[in-house]
Amino acid sequence: MRNRPTRRVLASAAVIVATLALTSACGDEEEPPAGNGEPVSFDITFDGDTVTPRGAEETIAKGSDIELVVEADKPGELHVHSSPEQQVEYGAGTTTIPVKLANQAPGVVDIESHDLDQVVIRLTIR
Amino acid sequence: MARLDGSTLAHGIGGAQDLPISPELAIAGAVAALTVSFTVLAVAWRTPRYDDGETGRPAPGWIDTLVAHPAFRVGLRVLGMMLFLYTAMAAVFGQDRVTNPFFGIFYVWWWVGLVPFSLLLGPVWKAISPVRTINLAFAKVSGGDPDEGIFRYPERLGYWPAAVGLFAFVWMELVYPYSTELGPVRLWCAVYVAAMLLGGALFGNTFYERADPFEVYSSLVAKMSVWGTRDGRVVVRSPLANLSTVVARPGLVAVTAVLFGSTAFDSFRDSTTWLNFLQEHDIITTNGAVGPDTAAAIANNLALLTFCAGIGIIFALATMATGVDPEIDRRSLPNRFAHSIVPIIVGYIVAHYLTYFVEVGQLTLILASDPFGDGSNYLGTGDLQVNYWLSYHPTLLANTKVAAVVVGHVLGVIAAHDRAIKVLPARHQLTGQLPLLFAMVGFTAGGLFLLFAA
Repeated sequence: MRNRPTRRVLASAAVIVATLALTSACGDEEEPPAGNGEPVSFDITFDGDTVTPRGAEETIAKGSDIELVVEADKPGELHVHSSPEQQVEYGAGTTTIPVKLANQAPGVVDIESHDLDQVVIRLTIR
Repeated sequence: MARLDGSTLAHGIGGAQDLPISPELAIAGAVAALTVSFTVLAVAWRTPRYDDGETGRPAPGWIDTLVAHPAFRVGLRVLGMMLFLYTAMAAVFGQDRVTNPFFGIFYVWWWVGLVPFSLLLGPVWKAISPVRTINLAFAKVSGGDPDEGIFRYPERLGYWPAAVGLFAFVWMELVYPYSTELGPVRLWCAVYVAAMLLGGALFGNTFYERADPFEVYSSLVAKMSVWGTRDGRVVVRSPLANLSTVVARPGLVAVTAVLFGSTAFDSFRDSTTWLNFLQEHDIITTNGAVGPDTAAAIANNLALLTFCAGIGIIFALATMATGVDPEIDRRSLPNRFAHSIVPIIVGYIVAHYLTYFVEVGQLTLILASDPFGDGSNYLGTGDLQVNYWLSYHPTLLANTKVAAVVVGHVLGVIAAHDRAIKVLPARHQLTGQLPLLFAMVGFTAGGLFLLFAA
């Protein structure tokens, strides 16, 4: 009788170890293709109080830079929630804004309109 | 072109977010949690092991000597006071920009940092709390006793004030639209300090133990550390044995519900689902009554409240859904089981905040060297660079997060099991645990789902 609790503890421990091994064995991610040096281009259009796209989900490869081609009826500001954060300005008309993201670690970067307080593009970097 | 000025960032501080974990990993974690839960129920011990607080080995002599030494205690108080004054200086004389280290100290070092430090070292906030130090200084000057106030702290109040304070913090952090503007955050801190000093004067140190949101949070997490005390001596004991010494007082469930619910809400509000709801749904965008901004703010407030209240209600119902002996008040059960949710909270907080703490924590150390934003480098840390090693290893990161959630879940289930065989009558010990077990599996699976979906 005396060693039954010990055996229970051992059994529980075995299950825990086995399941942990299970959880950490899965989930290997495949390597995305590396950036080829050309910035990835995204179009953004501001018209009055609306922006297109809105909350668009995009994915780029780790090591890529992007450029935002902004067409707007009035000047404004975009926030790029990378690490560190970046803020870029655009004028009325069409502005092409290069944004450096090549040094950004994998993660999710929101590009947000400061004036409308809306997420324009949700960019996943893999 | 790129610049960083002080305007409001709807995102709070910190830049890029973690990649979502893969669906396979989330499912594997949930299956592991489920399997382990029922295994614990089936094979674990049948007589309570943890509820005495008598276990634990005496800590090595030098630790005991060190901790008991007045110079050590004074040193910690001085350290806490210096951090407090430095932070207050940045808050009062610094610039209203997100580069002011005040925000990082407030949201990252203080709020998130509290957890790892308490987990490793024990109740750290109690040891360094500047409000306790000021109260102590007042007592010394007036010849009083810091433990004694004018009144006795009402037992019925329990941890409720702390729950309210914690909610006030997460509200500030997660739903208040101006959470990165200096004025409001500074005001929040001023109200906190004022409330704590008033409470300390009225009720003595008991007030800090039960009503200071940060001390309650820190001391609760410290119960998952290996450090305990017995007869005034430091002992080393298993975190589970330590956890069982949490004193069940009114409001304990509310404290845990706010901590867990708010962290889950933080994941949820980053999800594309919620983003699309706020940006696309007619009820927000064409809300004739209040306008889209207010409608979104109301939706966020309601969602935060729903997460916190939802967790609390599910937990309370799940713990009460059992047969009990007639002499036990069923309504006392939620607070008596509330300690078992602490490991689940800690595991989820590790998963949710690990990169944020490591990376924005470093950024804060860099910014802290220049509290007034005038280019100075008081601490010599201003030229350091943030190390993004963790973010560059997304697979390791994702595995660590899921492992933390699953380990937290397992510890929670064991803690609940031990408490169940102590307080439930023999014939209800197995079936009585089931509702809580399902609730815990639900919490863990939900947390994993949010890590996957956000």
